[in-house]
Formats: sequence, structure tokens, C-alpha cells
Amino acid sequence: MSEKFVERMIKFYLPLFIFLFFLLFPFYWMFITAFKSDAELYNLKLNPFFIHEPTFKNILMLFKETLFNRWMFNTFFVAILATILSLSASLLAAYAIQRVRFRGSGPIGISIFFGYLVPPTILFIPLAAIIFQLKIWDSLWSLVLIYPTFLIPFCTWLLMGYFKSIPKEMEECAMIDGASRLRVFWQIVVPLALPGILSAGIFAFTLSWNEYLYALTFISTTTLKTAPVGLITELVRGDVYHWGPLMTGALLASVPVALVYSFFVEHYVAGMTGALKE
Amino acid sequence: MEEKKFLEGGGEGISRRDFIKTGLAGAAAVGLAGMPLDALAQKAKPEALEFKPEKGAVLRVLRWSVFVKSDQEFWDKNTKKWEEATGCKVITEYISWEDVRSKAAMTASVGAGHDIVLGWHDDPHLYPDKLVDVTDLATYLDKKYGGWEPVCLKYGINPRTKRWICLPVGAPSMCMNYRISWMKEAGFEKFPDKIPEFIKLSKALKAKGRPTGHAMGKAVGDGNNTWHWWLWSFGGKVVESDGATLCLNKQETWDALEASKELYDTMIPGVASWLDPHNNKAFLAGEISLTGNGISIYYAAKEKFPDIAADMDHANMPVGPFGKPAELHLFNEAFIFRHCKVQQAAKHYLLYMFEEPQYGPWIEAMRGYVTPSLKDYKKLPVWTADPKHTPFRDTIGRMLWTGYAGPVGTPSAATMAEYVIVDMFNDVCVGGKSPKAAAAAAQDRAARYYKPRAPKAPAKAKEEPKPKEKK
Amino acid sequence: MRISENIAIQPGKRPGRRWRWSGLLEDRTVMGMAFVAPAVGLLLLFLAYPLILGIWLGFTDTVVGGTGEFIGLANYISLLNDALFWKVTYYTFLYTGAAVFFKLLLGFALAIVLNREFRAKGFVRAIVLLPWIIPTVLSAICFWWLYDTTFSGITWVLMKIGLIGHKIDYLGDPTNARIALIVANVWRGIPFFTIGLLAGLQTINPSLYEAASIDGAGGWHRFRHVTLPLISPLLAVVTTFSTIWTFADFQLIWVITRGGPANATHLYGTLSFQRAIPGGQFGEGAAISAFILPVLMISVWVCYKYMRREE
Repeated sequence: MSEKFVERMIKFYLPLFIFLFFLLFPFYWMFITAFKSDAELYNLKLNPFFIHEPTFKNILMLFKETLFNRWMFNTFFVAILATILSLSASLLAAYAIQRVRFRGSGPIGISIFFGYLVPPTILFIPLAAIIFQLKIWDSLWSLVLIYPTFLIPFCTWLLMGYFKSIPKEMEECAMIDGASRLRVFWQIVVPLALPGILSAGIFAFTLSWNEYLYALTFISTTTLKTAPVGLITELVRGDVYHWGPLMTGALLASVPVALVYSFFVEHYVAGMTGALKE
Repeated sequence: MEEKKFLEGGGEGISRRDFIKTGLAGAAAVGLAGMPLDALAQKAKPEALEFKPEKGAVLRVLRWSVFVKSDQEFWDKNTKKWEEATGCKVITEYISWEDVRSKAAMTASVGAGHDIVLGWHDDPHLYPDKLVDVTDLATYLDKKYGGWEPVCLKYGINPRTKRWICLPVGAPSMCMNYRISWMKEAGFEKFPDKIPEFIKLSKALKAKGRPTGHAMGKAVGDGNNTWHWWLWSFGGKVVESDGATLCLNKQETWDALEASKELYDTMIPGVASWLDPHNNKAFLAGEISLTGNGISIYYAAKEKFPDIAADMDHANMPVGPFGKPAELHLFNEAFIFRHCKVQQAAKHYLLYMFEEPQYGPWIEAMRGYVTPSLKDYKKLPVWTADPKHTPFRDTIGRMLWTGYAGPVGTPSAATMAEYVIVDMFNDVCVGGKSPKAAAAAAQDRAARYYKPRAPKAPAKAKEEPKPKEKK
Repeated sequence: MRISENIAIQPGKRPGRRWRWSGLLEDRTVMGMAFVAPAVGLLLLFLAYPLILGIWLGFTDTVVGGTGEFIGLANYISLLNDALFWKVTYYTFLYTGAAVFFKLLLGFALAIVLNREFRAKGFVRAIVLLPWIIPTVLSAICFWWLYDTTFSGITWVLMKIGLIGHKIDYLGDPTNARIALIVANVWRGIPFFTIGLLAGLQTINPSLYEAASIDGAGGWHRFRHVTLPLISPLLAVVTTFSTIWTFADFQLIWVITRGGPANATHLYGTLSFQRAIPGGQFGEGAAISAFILPVLMISVWVCYKYMRREE
């Protein structure tokens, strides 16, 4: 019994602990920074791993002096809409490429995949011109429309894999029963692909949540900024970084996504699994 | 008339004689208020300036996000007053100061977006043809407020057309920040104003276990400012006044590099990758005794570290073998894009913000962060209320411009963005290169921007039809 | 050919009646085209079009606010003669190679550790994802603080336990800075590998392991001959994605070192940005970005071949 425990310890808990330590250490650092005053932060005599005189000033500053709530809302708004848009487009595209197998589906599949390769640094200046022509500059809609460029390729790929795992026979049976393709798609394929859709959705949500360069470039009004951009622009004042509020903001900005993940992580894994099953 | 000589760097496209005349006039305006600014000032009295803001105009303003909170308070307050007075609307966007250039570049290349930008250094000279001529405003302000500081002429006037394309706002400038008691411990009663003594002081501080620290990484402000000052103070420069002949690989530069090694030996580890905030942190933590920085350290110290605030002071950057002050500071200027559909309103707004009732309290509110570009504003109480502010008052008069001794423009912007000068010092101090090798390599890097493009770009620009501009 | 012309027009025509719609959709090609239209449309407008403009920019001498002239390969030739560019190329490959390798290794290891039943499984799996969730700009700022020579908590611990006598210059020394940035990238990228591979591991039928055990295969043997072959297609895909992101990385470097000290840590992405935006040399910046493309093309091609073969 105890031997088994020792084995489990060495093979499981120890490595797990080391990994968790490495992955979470920066979060611990952010967390304690969030509750430290500048005086404490710059005091090299103190042990930096403890909070000696916890202060809530940083949190107050974040909520009182900045529009943090508003930025969080904007980030949500953009992330959710961009996710829905990308998911819908990807769902249709993936199904068409994987299942309908129409003429030209192969090349289209590849080109969508290639879309993933283009680095934003090459795109954002030409994109700016398009955004202006569409008159969506300084509007959250510009982000909603641009984010799918990096979401669709991945989502489509993931969903293609997932459709592959759904037995073709189910569709064929329904078609023999006289259901139209569209109905088959809605009533059979989509429900079966739900775990895959969920994974793709979570993935898309995370990427939109974290995006920085486009949000910085195409949004101008303070009230329309997303959380990462807002935090950096308002809490970095010249050569003075407001470490406490910055770290507080960083933590709070990752909480919602973390929550989503803790609810859905099993589905996420399951969804990816489906995509990978042969 | 120190300022006359100071401006002798000359400029591309503008004849030397013309330029000296302009510079002289600028300088003379100090003493003889109201003297017209040479060719620039055909307009009569200041009162003649009248703009009629278009009805219901909406202005989009892009500026750097504040260094001190009171900056935004007063800027927004002034803007609000203007909105009430004119019935127009202003949408002000604040983004971190280093990002202003990216956004302004986007605005310039797309030809839409912000109407007014408060940009940095060479910004207006990257796209001079896209900017509204503000010679009328510049002339008016020059006469009304004791004249522009000499360096403003370099930053404000397009050397090709000799017209003002932007209004210099001021310089968030740099001084030496030092700990008084530690300096005294090291055997100095007064902060040295010459570089050899400055090196001695640094060494003495280091010997006492109080190292110095100057940013040597890709610090847009501190890094560039410090090492340009150092290079220029030894008489080195990247390019001659013709804007094409590179002259970096010379004895003066080698001397500067040699001397920088001595200074580097007095610094704490890590400076090689320091960005702008690092020296603030280290100074406030008591880790370094001396650094070049804006007033932000003092300001933070007054708020949170009163002991340090009491024990620290500022001094202007020491003078080197060059014989005169040769500093570089961040430099901010306001410009209006041609794509602005409400240019009257834009001019009216800018002028309003520069007038004493607005500009004065605003500068006051920033507590020394920004040194004003117009001489009369030197008299504001903020500069003397706390003697530790005073050195910052004079910085703008002690500065040269980016790309000295050539013109301000695309090559100078590219050379600075590439950190050619900072890297050169880094190569010698950290990378162990010989001064000659480092200077040669740096000159080659600068040549990428000066040689192939410089002769071509202006030539092309000149061919462009001019009438369009004179609308 | 005639059919596909048809299709191209149909979605635009929008036949009003529902039955006609669905009737049309029974045609494979029509339906297929209609279904891919939204995705393709978005990508064409917001990706392909600006990309073409961007590539064109690389062949011109455009500077900020100006219109450039076509100069052929001049930007590329000038880059190939630029010592800095080669230094950047070197680090870009080093950074990508090292970071992807360690992400793969550690991510896989963590996936194996997590691939079992234990208490609070969901919770642990979720927090493992945290580094990937948090906005990169902000985690980069945190790392920046951790790498500060003066204030680093890591240094503090090492000095306390007497491992080092003086402060470590994490970012000031070129070699250290290069390693430090790779570590930060690995930290951020592990979860992506873990979750992806964990999903793959769960699809492996336990009976395969049992069979291998009966044959007397040890832990390594089972891994080598059961796990690895089954998971390698997935491995290829996940690695390709990670390679793409790492190769085109920008934010992490820009926040922490901006490419310093002495340009030791520039990547194509940061150099391109530095020259294009603060430097105003749009054409040259675009040309540097364009160097990213071939590498990415190759990695995608490899990945695509791999996926096809497995099918």
C-alpha cells in the first residue's frame, strides 16, 4: 500500500507539483504585487515573497481611476461576437469541406489553413486602409470583423477533424429517409459536433480576449478600449509603471476566461479528442 | 547670442545664410519682443489671427497618455472650456507615449483618422506634405509669448518649404538625478557641470558602494537621450549639416566611446537592457546614486518616498569637450493633418490650448514634466516654487535635435528607431568591441538610411507639384 | 466550369423562396460553395487583400506617409547585406527551435502526468491553462519584473540559499536575455501542447496498453511503441501551430527587451515593426515580414502532408 503511495508520489504528485509551481509562480507574483504598496515593492530588505502590509489602494485605483469595468465589457463584447461569427463561418466551411466534398473543396481547405500563417505585423497597415473605407474605424465592430481572420483557420481545421469522426452512415440514413441536406446538417451534424464546437469556441474566445495589436491600432476612444490595451495605456505613465494596479488588472482580466475554462475544460478536451479520433 | 551659433548646424534645402537669419531672428525675438520672425512673419499683429470654427465640428485629437494625473485633468478641462466656447466637440485619445508614433504613422499613411496629433521628435517631418501649414499660429505665438526656444525652429519648420508644419509643445526633458548626501560622501559639494568631473564623481560614488545607472537598452527616452548627449558632448555626430555626409567614425566618437567605458564601470549590472522605467525603480529603491531621467522619479519620491525626495536633487547634464550644452530630450509637437475637414476649428483649438490661460495652468499642473517651448512660460512659478524643479526649466534651451547636425527627417527617425547610437555604446561597454570597430559599424548602419534614400527622397519631393500645398 | 460559375452567382442572388433555396442546396457544389462563402469572404477581405498589399509594399521603397516606387528586390538585397538581419535570423530560428522543443517536451510530459484520474482533475486542468489564458502583454510585464536585475524574486531566493554571490543580469547579458525570453515563451506555450496532447492521449484505447503490458513491455517501451505512434499525427499538428506562433512572435519580446541588449533578442516580427513603424521604413518592414512567410509555408506543407497521410 505504502509502496504504491510512494510510486504515485514520484510518478504523479512530484512532477505535477513541479509543473504547477513553474506555471503558477508568475501568477503568485502578480497576486502579491497586487496587494503591495510601492514603498514595499521597492524595499529590497523585505522578503519579496510575502505581503508585509497589504494594501487595497491598487484595486481601488484600478476601479476608481480607470474604466476597467467598461474595458472588461468591451473585451467580452468583442470576444463573444467574434467567436460567434468565426464559429458560424467555420462550422459551415468545415462541414462543406469535410463532408460535402464539392468540387474545389480541397484547395479551399488548404487556403483557409494557410490563412493562419500571416503575421499581424505585415497586415495592420494595409488593414487600416480597409477599416477606414468601411467606416468602422474606432468601433468595436472593426475588431469583431478582423478577429475572425485568425480564428476561422484554426476553428475550421478543428471542426473538420471533428466532422471526420462523425459516422457518415447517420447522415446517409437520414438522407435516405428524405431529409434535406440542410436539415441533416442542422438536426444531426451540428448536435453531434457540439463538443467540437465548444472547443473551437473556447479557443476562439481566448484568442480574441488576448489580442493586442489590432485592438491598439483600430480603437481610439478610451471608452471603447479592450482590457489589455486599456490597462497598458492608462497604467503606464511615461516611465512610471503602476505595478500594483497593472497586476491587479492582469489577474482580474484573466479570471473570466479561467472560469470559463474550469467549467468547460473537460468538454474542451473531449472536443479536441473528437477532432482527433479517427 | 549663443543661440545663433547653436543653430549653425544648418539644414538641407535651406541655404545656410537663410537659416542663420531665421535663427538670429528667433534669438532676437527674446530681446526685442514683437520683432517679426523674418520671412515667416509677414502677417501683422497677433490680434489679426482669427479662425472661425466650422459649425458642429468634431475634432479627433491623439496625444500621449499622461505622465501625471493632473495633466489630463487640466488638458480635459481646457478642452471642455473650448467646447463650451465654440460649440464644437473634441474626442481626445490618450495612448502610451511610445505608441503615438505608430498610430500617427497609420493616420498619415491612410489619410484618415485623427485630425490633430501630439507627436514626438521627427514625426511631422516624416510626412510634412500631409500637414497643415501653421506658420500663422507659430508666428503669432512667437510674438506674443517671448519667442520660441531656438531648437523649436528645427523641429517646427519644414526645411524645404521653410513653413511651420507643427507647433512645438515642449520637451519632457531629462536632468541628472542624484542623491545629495551620497554625493557629499563622495567628496563633492556641488554637482559637476563638466564631464571629466562628472566621471570623477561617478567613480567616487561607485567606490563608496553607490553605483550609478544609465539606461543602455532600447529605452526610447532615457537611452537615446543619455547617449546622444554623451556623443554630442564629445563633439561627435552622425551626419554633417548637409544631411548626407556621415561623420560618425571619427576621433570625437572614439573619445566618447572610450570615456563611456569609464562611466559604464560605475554602473550597476543590468543597464544593458534597461528600458525607460528601470532607472526609476532602481533609484527609488536606493540601488543607484545617479541617473539621467525626467522629473518622474522626484515626483514619485515626493508621493511615496519622502526621505528620498528630500535627499535628491537635479542638475543639468554636464558639458563635455564640445564646450556647450548638447543635450537631447524628448520633444513634443502638435500638428494638424490635411485630411482634417474642419481645419479652422483645429487651428482655433490648438491656438486656444497654447494661449496663456490654458497653457500656463496646464504646464503648472504637470509640475515640471514638460518644459515649455515658448520662452515666456519659463516665468511660470512652477520652475522656482521648488528649486529642484529649476534645472528642468532650462533643458530645452540646452538641447540639439535628432539627426544633428543634419535635418530632422526620415533618415534621422530611422537611425534613432534603430538605436544606432545606443547600440554603439552598448557594443563597446558590454559587447567588448573596440571603439573604432563600434563606430565604424554604427556608421554603416546609419548609412543604410542616409546614403541610399536621403539624396533620392528630397529630390523626389521637390518634383512634386507645389501649388497643391498652397491651398 | 459552367457549374462553378453558377455557384459563384447564386449566393448573391438570394432566391426569395425557401424551397428554392433548399432545392438548390441539394446540389453538392452549390451547397459547398454557399457554406464556405462566409469564411472565404471574410478571409479574402480582411486577410488576403491586405496580405497582397503588404507583400507589394515589400517590393517598394514606401516610407511613412509617402507613396513608394517599385524597386524590385532592392529591399531584400539590402537586407541580405545587413549584418543585423542575419543576427536576427539566427535568433529567430534559435528562439523558435528551442522554445518549440521545450514546449513540446514539457507540454507532453505534463499531458502524460494529467492523463489519469485524480481528485480535482477539472480544476487542475483548468489552472494549468492559466498561462495561456492571460493576455500576453500583461504576463510579459510580470516576467519583465521577475527578470529585473535588482528586484527579481528569483535572484533573492538564490542569494538567500547561497547559490550565487552576486545579482544575475538576466536581460543585460545577451546570452542570458536570449534564454530568459525562451523561458518566458515556453511558460506561455506549455498549456497549448498539454491540452492538445491530453486530448490525444485520451483517445488511445487502454486495451492497447494492456496488450503491450502482457507482452512484457515496460513504461518506456509502451510509450515508444504505443503512445508515440498513435499520437504522432496530432503531435505534428500541434507542433506546426506552435511553430507558426513562435516564429511570428512579437509581443513578448517587444515588452521585455525590445530586441536588446545590442539586438541580441530581435525576432523578424520585432525588427519588422521597429523598422516599419518607429523607423518609418514601411517597405523594408514589409520585406522583413515577408521572410516569415516561406518558413511558415514549409511548416504548413509538412503538417498538411502529415495529416493527409494519416487519413
